[in-house]
Amino acid sequence: MTRRRISETLAVEAGNIICARCSHALGAVAANWKKKAALTTVPLKSLPGAGSAVEAQVVLRRFACPGCGRLLDTETAMPDDPFLEDVVRV
Amino acid sequence: MDPITFSIIRHRLFRVVEEAVITLKHVSGTAITNEGHDLMVSLYRADGSLLMGGVGFLHHLTSAAEACKAIIRRFEGQINEGDLFLLNDPFTAALHTSDIYLVSPIHHQGKLIAWSACFVHVYDIGAMNPGGFAPDAQDIYTEGFSSPGIKLIDRGQLRQDLWDTILNMVRGPEMVALDLRSMIACNNVAKDRTLALTEKYGEETLDRVCRMLIEQSETRLRERLRELPDGQWQSRQYLEVKGEIYKVILTMSKKDDSLVFDFSGSSPQSKYSVNCTKWASIGGLFAPIFPLLCYDITWNEGVTRPITVIAPEGTIVNCTRPAPVSVATVGAIQSVNNAALSTIGKMLASSELYAEEATAVWHANNFAIFMFGTNQRGGQSIGILTETFAGSGGARTFADGVDIGGEIPNPISRMANVETIEASFPIRYLFRRRLRDSGGPGKFRGGTGGEMAIVPHDGPDGGIHYVLSGKGSKFPQSEGLAGGYPGAINDYVWVHTPTDVGEAGRFAQDLDAMPGGKEPISWGVFPLMDKDALYVRWNGGGGVGDPLERESDKVLRDVVEGIISPRAASEVYGIVLDGGKVDADATAVRRKTLRGSRIASEARQ
Repeated sequence: MTRRRISETLAVEAGNIICARCSHALGAVAANWKKKAALTTVPLKSLPGAGSAVEAQVVLRRFACPGCGRLLDTETAMPDDPFLEDVVRV
Repeated sequence: MDPITFSIIRHRLFRVVEEAVITLKHVSGTAITNEGHDLMVSLYRADGSLLMGGVGFLHHLTSAAEACKAIIRRFEGQINEGDLFLLNDPFTAALHTSDIYLVSPIHHQGKLIAWSACFVHVYDIGAMNPGGFAPDAQDIYTEGFSSPGIKLIDRGQLRQDLWDTILNMVRGPEMVALDLRSMIACNNVAKDRTLALTEKYGEETLDRVCRMLIEQSETRLRERLRELPDGQWQSRQYLEVKGEIYKVILTMSKKDDSLVFDFSGSSPQSKYSVNCTKWASIGGLFAPIFPLLCYDITWNEGVTRPITVIAPEGTIVNCTRPAPVSVATVGAIQSVNNAALSTIGKMLASSELYAEEATAVWHANNFAIFMFGTNQRGGQSIGILTETFAGSGGARTFADGVDIGGEIPNPISRMANVETIEASFPIRYLFRRRLRDSGGPGKFRGGTGGEMAIVPHDGPDGGIHYVLSGKGSKFPQSEGLAGGYPGAINDYVWVHTPTDVGEAGRFAQDLDAMPGGKEPISWGVFPLMDKDALYVRWNGGGGVGDPLERESDKVLRDVVEGIISPRAASEVYGIVLDGGKVDADATAVRRKTLRGSRIASEARQ
């Protein structure tokens, strides 16, 4: 079966986006895979090395593979901001 | 055209630019120019289009092209051999008023055949705050002298009345004069060498090579784009000024052999001077395109042709006059640059062929700290802390980012020696070094940023003052890639040292050891007087990949070298250290536990 890379951590196989490490399916190519990922949010203020004035609400969204737990992507966000959406045409 | 002649002329044109850069550095006496390398020199075609982009701050390559075109429009019929023009109006072409363009027509046997253009950040431009970055400005009218184009040299004769008028409006006129003279010398060298090249190969041959170079760059970039997957990638950058939060939103679309950068959704323009104009946004956008997509392609007009930019008017990335823009270069322009870098990095990472060219966002938050006041010799000093140019490299898909590794928009940026700054200002450095936990965690770690602290020293007035302007210290901007974390955030702390501090306190070697109240600051004019101290840290580069996949030995090495803390090793990298060694079994268990904790919740939005 043909597998095509779409990021450092994701691939497309048989019309589905999959984790490049464990092949866990993350939905159809046309959909936003992030909605099928496991999401944890970490306040940036809580991370080692945070500065003295970090915005209290800003978080690091961590999108992980529900199959193997590998981090697939991250994004910095305020709580109400939508997921960033990256789409590779295959 | 035989390929050897073509290649020789291409290289000679680049050497013309390089020699002009060397001239600029040798004549200028300012640390920002000859040590920080806040400069640019390029050659342009007779119509003002970019012919040979040089090194220095790359977001000036396209803006200076627009400056040449603006001069051509304004002075139609009055452009003569030996002329030299000055332009620094941001709503015409410049990035902000203190980045002055001097552009010079190059005539051969009476015919205009090319232009040379250069810029430096002059030490002052007469804005309401010293140094050109004006956090207190509410409009362009308070940001200093601003010209949409004047003829400074007429047929080889300096217009002394204009020269004197300009220098009459700035603080530190002797240093500004030196910088202006360095740019005149730079343009003279560029002109002489271009004319020598023309004499050797003939005007017709040179013109043909120039046309071919531009066509070649367009063709090669389009070929490269066709090799990359079609798609759409997004980025979001936050800026903060005095409690107000702004966003730069970018959607980059790639189809076949063209790219569209769409900034729709970005915040309305600000009342603060972090805005940028359209030309500045375009410049900020191209700064990462040149090194990331065109590393083996001549940087010229051809590179711009496959690119479309959408920057809605009235937004922070295309503000309307008279919005203030003096902090643009470390404000919205840099956010445009970061966003473009992030989306280009993701596009490259989606390709088997180009994955190794991908990078997380590099040093993403420049700061501008301009000091001013009476120096230790009783004279007046004004100038910038160049640590902002020290930067930090973003991680790649195969390696860590370079610590204190510079920045993408300026391949030759660097910081001045401590001694240079201490000789110019009545201050003393307590320390300057890499900053722990600043590189974005990842399988490949982002390069570290740095930290420093300064105190007054030997000043007749008891110290000095400084203008601080940046994008604040609330949001990280060096985004990670593919699961990598962003680099740490800038920080500016005004330390109110007690008057009865002991010897140990006066020579403290880290922020925690510095006695007294610590006040986070980020915007305005502040004192560094008497017992004050200023602590500054700058951001690291973004990481690439899952931190739990970083090799244990590399994490241990980072801990030993003080690059990351034991807490980060444990909480972020999942490493268990025991007696200065990695406990492999315990690490495996911990990493499995951390991965499991991520799976506990499903994303919902």
